[in-house]
Amino acid sequence: MEHGNLLNWLIFLPTIAAVLCLIVPSNRTVKLIAVLATGLTLLLSLGLFQHFAWWGTAAGDVFGAGYGQKLYEVTKLTWITLGEGARAPKIEYFVGADGLSFPLILLTTVVTFLACLASWNIEHWKINKGIRGYFCLFLLLETGMLGVFCSLDFFLFYIFWEVMLLPMYFLIGVWGGPRKEYAAIKFFIYTLVGSVLMLIVLLAFYFYAPVGLRTFSLIELANNAAIQDAFKAATFLGFRFAPLMFVLLFIGFAIKVPVFPFHTWLPDAHVEAPTPISMILAGILLKMGAYGLLRISYPILPTAGMWASYALGLLGLVNIIYGALCAMAQTDFKRLVAYSSISHMGYVLLGIAIMTPAGLQGAMFQVIAHGISSPMCFFLVGVIYDRAHHREINRFGGLWLSMPVYGSLATLGFFASLGLPGLCGFIGEFWVLVATFSAQAVWPWMTWAKPFAVIAATGVILTAGYILWMIQRVYLGPQREEYKGFPEASAREIAILAPFAALALLLGILPDQSLFRFMNGALNQIAELFK
Amino acid sequence: MNPASLNNWLPSADELHLFSPELILVGTIVAVLVAPLLVGRRPAVPALIAVLGCFVGLVATWAVSTQIADGPQAGMVPPAAGATPMLLADRFSVFYKLLLFLALGLITWLWLIGAQKRNGTNSASERGATEFFVLLLTSALGMMLMVSSFNLLVLIIAIETASLPSYALVASDKRSRLGAEAALKYVMFGATASAIMIYGVSLLYGRFGTLDLSVIASTLDARYAELRSTVATSAPVTHVAVTDAVFWLGLAALGVGITFKIAAVPMHYWCPDVFQGAPIEVTTWLSVASKAAGVGLLLRIVSVFTVTGPWPPPNLPPAAAGHTYAMTVAVLVGVLAAVTCTVGNLAALRQENVKRILAYSSIAHAGYMMMAAAIIVAPSAAGGASAATYNTGMAAVIAYLFVYLLMNVGAFGATALVVWQTGTDHLSTFTGLGRRAPWVALPLAVCLFSLVGLPPLGGFTAKWYLLLALGKTAATQPWLWILVVVAVINTAISLYYYVRIIRQMYLTDDAALPAFRPPGGGVALVSACAIILLLLGTLWFGPLGRRAQALASDIYARPPAAQAELSHRM
Repeated sequence: MEHGNLLNWLIFLPTIAAVLCLIVPSNRTVKLIAVLATGLTLLLSLGLFQHFAWWGTAAGDVFGAGYGQKLYEVTKLTWITLGEGARAPKIEYFVGADGLSFPLILLTTVVTFLACLASWNIEHWKINKGIRGYFCLFLLLETGMLGVFCSLDFFLFYIFWEVMLLPMYFLIGVWGGPRKEYAAIKFFIYTLVGSVLMLIVLLAFYFYAPVGLRTFSLIELANNAAIQDAFKAATFLGFRFAPLMFVLLFIGFAIKVPVFPFHTWLPDAHVEAPTPISMILAGILLKMGAYGLLRISYPILPTAGMWASYALGLLGLVNIIYGALCAMAQTDFKRLVAYSSISHMGYVLLGIAIMTPAGLQGAMFQVIAHGISSPMCFFLVGVIYDRAHHREINRFGGLWLSMPVYGSLATLGFFASLGLPGLCGFIGEFWVLVATFSAQAVWPWMTWAKPFAVIAATGVILTAGYILWMIQRVYLGPQREEYKGFPEASAREIAILAPFAALALLLGILPDQSLFRFMNGALNQIAELFK
Repeated sequence: MNPASLNNWLPSADELHLFSPELILVGTIVAVLVAPLLVGRRPAVPALIAVLGCFVGLVATWAVSTQIADGPQAGMVPPAAGATPMLLADRFSVFYKLLLFLALGLITWLWLIGAQKRNGTNSASERGATEFFVLLLTSALGMMLMVSSFNLLVLIIAIETASLPSYALVASDKRSRLGAEAALKYVMFGATASAIMIYGVSLLYGRFGTLDLSVIASTLDARYAELRSTVATSAPVTHVAVTDAVFWLGLAALGVGITFKIAAVPMHYWCPDVFQGAPIEVTTWLSVASKAAGVGLLLRIVSVFTVTGPWPPPNLPPAAAGHTYAMTVAVLVGVLAAVTCTVGNLAALRQENVKRILAYSSIAHAGYMMMAAAIIVAPSAAGGASAATYNTGMAAVIAYLFVYLLMNVGAFGATALVVWQTGTDHLSTFTGLGRRAPWVALPLAVCLFSLVGLPPLGGFTAKWYLLLALGKTAATQPWLWILVVVAVINTAISLYYYVRIIRQMYLTDDAALPAFRPPGGGVALVSACAIILLLLGTLWFGPLGRRAQALASDIYARPPAAQAELSHRM
């Protein structure tokens, strides 16, 4: 464990900036503070590279000998002592980064910074009041998100998980579209139901561990053999402990991912949320579900993961196919992108469900790839919405002609989402499909893996179908009279799109150098726990 | 009667000192009554005396807490063989006295703001200042006594002392039709509940020949042991239940009175109507103090029936443990708790009146607190052999009540500021409050989110300690996990109606509604509540738990004398 303060700064810098936002006089300063704070957080988070860049070093030196053995920038402070005495169980402020959280922390800071830039024109939004409040909540949201990815104590994880809800509710509810109230409360209630189920698991993990070993540390819960044995043997209200806890956790995380049938909040929230918030929702919040599965469910309850693998794989398939079919049926541009998110997150679930190292790698790659492509797509939608004030796909046409630069970037972004080779989406989906197809090599009993891979592959065709069709309707074709005068994407808009495009290319061309080598070590360690 | 035995009836100075907070309260009541004769009927005078009384009372309570540092003490023992104390002083009762004095202070503050606000428009409430404070302080006195006795007679007197002034308080705004209706409902319900309770007490007295609950509990213990020894000599015990109809009937009737006080199902019907009709200061008082005292009483009663030591009792086969009266009481309380919070939350979903929403919310919170009373293994070591033992359930409730006081005073206080301004308590009056009065809306939002139990606010801290207490005891009584599940699912349900108010404040707006300037004192009150709630959820998270555990240790459970007494009485 290597101690350090970097993560503390990352988590609380936005909070400090949020407080500053409340006291500074002018709206312009508020915006400036928000952009500077998110930018500074991004720069700081780049500092994490020092630990994970391992050209020349062996993977073992970077990732340690086992799961959670090598953590970076760790801060471990006792927050709440339960009981008395030196050995009393503690709730700790325990943050740290490993190969699993590192890419997500970076993704969070990048997407949040770009989303903050995307909020720069808030004065021109339909609802342009309360700029101070907007950026204040925005920054608090960043604290919550970074806190979730950095926490290694279950209790702390839960706190940050919930802290994130409040800003999100207001950001959708106050600055959203026409059905914002409905969308905001739906998001809030769905997520809260998930998180209270997590609360039960939190308590059960604590009390079902043998007395004396009780802990909230996610690392300890996964690594301690005595705790693991206790979990395997226990029953909870007559049910087997591990499967029940797995299901409760899964519902909590599945709501976030979102997994069919818990997905219905997502299209509503996405459509009603303002563009930058949609970017954050799709780019980061959805990833928390997958992260939770990889950080909590699977390492701590590996046997239950096996027990549930078929069901989870099946749900992943449903997500892929159902999401794609729904996307195909949409006429609202933003809704289409929202359903495409559901479809893409299905690959993540499938990759995790097969529980092989390659599956986890593919799933995590897909997580990051989708974290880059989907905010980009949402911003692309936002750009034309700002100009056209509607999102009806069928009413567009020939936009490429009036906005050539924007059109090129848009095509790149949607192709990245489609999974065109050479762009980020391809690697993730391909990796998951290959891993699923060959899963039987690791788990001989996974007879369903091959058929699942074949069915999942058809999802790629459907994806290509709805994206190409959409591109044709929106960007290609004859130029329409009403869109002739559309101004080209502004410098700010290009500045937001360009990094996304660059990252999509980078991950697509150099997947190993840009992502796999930063996280594979940690993912393989998690896969080790399943043995 | 010779003088010597007469002397014994007079409490000693030490005993009087133990109960100095109550005596100071009595003194304050007299002072409030006498003051108008000396200085005329000025509204500020009774308030000032009340605040002064609260302050002196707090100091006296602190003095008592040092006096009982070595262990709980009991007082007012009549000079008869086998007599038990009439009043007790332990850390739990000290906590209650502090809480009630604090609540009194906050209510007085709120009343002063209200008096200012109503100045000129409704002078009736000002003329009633003396009456208001006499009634308020008297009900506080009753509540303090409720948690400081095991004697059923004292309990009945205490409950009546707390209730009767409350009925009048509800009707203290003489022009309000709703207030009169509410008071009538309250009286009718209250009188019925009292009658049933007194009937139950008479049954218990008839059955056990004593008014002391701890003696009743010990008697049952012994009876149970006797039953067990007769059955268990030959065959293994699997089913030994205490089937004592008179006892159960008496206990159930007593339960009616208590559930009425805390507005728990099935005696909760009065609550929304009374809360809606009463002046808002009174509503706040009832929702906080009256409920707190009721929960305290319930815990007191349950705590004498709980089992000391490990569970199941070492000399008892686990199968038989499930049939002990302690277990039965716990399960009954647990079921009532689960039903109460579910009913409260579900009923709140469709309310349109903010006071009614908060009334149902307080029913739900009563349910959460009652869950702690279902924890029947009383003492629980904090860790390590040398560490102090404390009553897990009581610690959870102490933390919960403190937070609940702040949340409710904050929420009702902010509501009061809006209601006094706009003259209505319908949900729609909160429209656009985030713009119209941001410094009322923000603390109110914090208090409401805290009532939901979202981190990082005090409401979550309280709920967390409650769930932790349940989970801890669930190691031996797995059925408590059901209560955990019920509690967390209710949290999710309750989100909807709290957020309705927040939605009205922030997500809707009507440009026609003007902004207004709330009184500074009121903003200070609700902001203070909100800030403390925020601190309780973060920096004071651990300290709150530790304080609660300290206050829940050294609880006066059963007098050793009473147990010794038993062995030859059986």
